[in-house]
Amino acid sequence: MRFAPNDDQAMVLDMVARFLAARTDPATMAAGPMPAQDWSALGELGLFGFLLPEAAGGMGGAPQDVMLVAEAFGRSLAITPLAEGVVICGHLLGAAASSSRGDQLLAGIAQGTLTLAFARGGMISDKGLTGHLGLVRDGMAAEAFLVAAEDGGVALLAADDPRLHRRPVRLVDGSLAADLRCDAAGAALLEVPEGQVAAALALGQLAIVAEMVGAMATLLDLTVDYVKQRRQFGQAIASFQVIQHRCARLYVMLEQARSMMLRAALAPEGERQASVAAARAYAGEAALRLAEEAVQFHGGMGVTDELAVGRGLRRVLLLSRLFGGPCAARAELAA
Amino acid sequence: MEMSFSPQQLAFRDEVRAFLAQALTPRLRHGAALTSGVFAEPDIARAWQAILEAKGWLVYHWPETAGGPGWTPLQRWIFEKECAQAGAPVLPGMGLKLLGPVLYTFGSAAQKAFYLPRLRSAEHVWAQGFSEPGSGSDLASLRTRAERDGDHYIVNGHKIWTTQAQHANRLFALVRTDPAVKPQAGISFLMIDMALPGVTVRPILSASGDHELNEVFLDTVRVPVADRIGEEGQGWTIAKFLLENERGGTAFAPQLLADLVRLQGETGPLRGELAERALRLRLEAEALEITELRTLAEIEAGEAPGPRSVITKLIASEIRQGIEVLAVDAFGMAGLQWPEERPFYDAGVPAPFHSATAQVAAARYLNARAWSIFGGTSEIQLAIIARAALGL
Ligand SMILES: Cc1cc2nc3c(=O)[nH]c(=O)nc-3n(C[C@H](O)[C@H](O)[C@H](O)COP(=O)(O)OP(=O)(O)OC[C@H]3O[C@@H](n4cnc5c(N)ncnc54)[C@H](O)[C@@H]3O)c2cc1C
Repeated sequence: MRFAPNDDQAMVLDMVARFLAARTDPATMAAGPMPAQDWSALGELGLFGFLLPEAAGGMGGAPQDVMLVAEAFGRSLAITPLAEGVVICGHLLGAAASSSRGDQLLAGIAQGTLTLAFARGGMISDKGLTGHLGLVRDGMAAEAFLVAAEDGGVALLAADDPRLHRRPVRLVDGSLAADLRCDAAGAALLEVPEGQVAAALALGQLAIVAEMVGAMATLLDLTVDYVKQRRQFGQAIASFQVIQHRCARLYVMLEQARSMMLRAALAPEGERQASVAAARAYAGEAALRLAEEAVQFHGGMGVTDELAVGRGLRRVLLLSRLFGGPCAARAELAA
Repeated sequence: MEMSFSPQQLAFRDEVRAFLAQALTPRLRHGAALTSGVFAEPDIARAWQAILEAKGWLVYHWPETAGGPGWTPLQRWIFEKECAQAGAPVLPGMGLKLLGPVLYTFGSAAQKAFYLPRLRSAEHVWAQGFSEPGSGSDLASLRTRAERDGDHYIVNGHKIWTTQAQHANRLFALVRTDPAVKPQAGISFLMIDMALPGVTVRPILSASGDHELNEVFLDTVRVPVADRIGEEGQGWTIAKFLLENERGGTAFAPQLLADLVRLQGETGPLRGELAERALRLRLEAEALEITELRTLAEIEAGEAPGPRSVITKLIASEIRQGIEVLAVDAFGMAGLQWPEERPFYDAGVPAPFHSATAQVAAARYLNARAWSIFGGTSEIQLAIIARAALGL
């Protein structure tokens, strides 16, 4: 057994971390969505290829790869379409029978020049896709949508189809979602083998778990630094045992969440979905709790829009609640 | 022992209920329901304050000698409960709840005559200038300096977290008048006209996207000595009196229970875990309601409230935070929307996804995190409870 990254993985991790750290600090990263030029610069570095399987023109895409890269993104607090736009959409396209349109989209994802969004819902008929698909992350910037329809089919929709209606809805991390409605929107059906939709979804959810774990690590670091430096009553607030114990508890939660994340990434394929659900349930709860405590120990500073902790809480609130959040994940496990 | 209301109290409740049914316009209800911060926005608050003042119920919690309606503690509670259930706006408390009692308790006759009517008419809108960058939990370490110069103090300092200072024209502040004595003994309580030269307000944006907080810079501000409340050096005693009002002056449970009911009206019946969480919150709030009533009954009987009165703010913070995260969860993706525009009831806010209550949920969640910080953090409340209730 070995839970540490191998040399190749460590190299990629180092590259991501350095790139993100060189761009800017966590507070700025968490202020709003990552600028498009930074995103495409990451694409130029070949990073997204590491998230995609060979079938999708990538050179990685294993759960461990996804986890490592997503955790690094989480640490930076960057707000990006990584989980859905790259991991889920990339893996769905990779799993589908190859087509020139599909290859073109995959190349765009890998280069970071094209935004895809993932949605669920709607019914496919021979006229196209119809339904109210609700809030779709990054749906305003998306040039195309991959939709897992209610009847099990997967459809590719062009965003400029006149029968596809979207309106912007800003989400709590500052990213722009689309409220998406389709009225017989022209849908190209993707032939995705049985089980591959669920597998792609689980991989995207693993990325979200890893982003949360990364964000937890950063928020804990920032909080530990802050309590050492902030003085009240003539001493660092870190000298109060209450603060020590509760920071210690946060460390425990982080390590436990990391364990769940690692298990989900390393589980045999047959157990992956269940262990991803477990990791989602666990990390979703732990991450929000940790972010709330980070805010608490910063006092008034914590609730401002100026620091990484306040912005990080917004990001963690969003990540932890996606796909129904811990409640839905627990329900999935209990079912 | 008994736990019921008298026929007179029930008649009073009906009177309050009838008044609220007629006085709360749809605009006021709507504005109150879509408030993301702790207090109603100025336009809503002003309108509601004027209505209550015209009715004679604005300063319902002041004694008759100070111009209040002469209600008993339980009548005040009934009024608060009815307001909460009717969805009335929550008025900013800095003037009415915090400064008012300080003025009629510690103020001179001249100060009362000048300031109390202006507070009620909202000619004066007050902000609270206690906290400083270096002095939050350890408030007694505050450094804003007031030096005597004839009939004036020259005030220099930096206040922070000043709620709604951008809407205020007056600031009450703790200042250091004597740096030589022990910290608590060197503090005085000043009322500062924010139009005076040297007063600058700078906004602090909250993580929720709301603008509630500010910094207030005081640069060689000349404040008349006549605007000091109490004696020089009495500021700490006054501040402790005021903080007791801030932490327990209003019953918290009625609002929490009402919000919990309203939330479930918006979401429809909750299921599974969410239903269980709502039930736990309800039980905690019901316990708090009785705890608060026990304290009120003691006050009504002329007894000093026991140390238990300090637990209310701590518990209320926890329930408030529980309700707001429940709201986010209950609305699903719709609970994650977060428009930039404020206030939420304004025509300029984009059409909500799902419902207007869902649209405000995330901002309310984020603002609710402040409950365990303002007015003394939960850690400080627990330290007070350990000391006051248990002698630890
Ligand atoms: C929304 C909001 C509105 C506010 N409005 C006003 C206002 O209108 N006017 C005003 O004057 N102030 C206002 N405040 C300020 C508020 O009173 C302070 O934020 C609060 O007292 C905490 O101080 P601090 O922010 O400096 O945190 P700190 O005192 O630095 O505390 C940081 C952390 O350390 C913990 N800590 C500190 N001391 C101890 C200890 N001895 N033992 C254990 N833990 C400890 C705290 O609990 C907290 O978790 C407001 C604050 C907020 C968030």
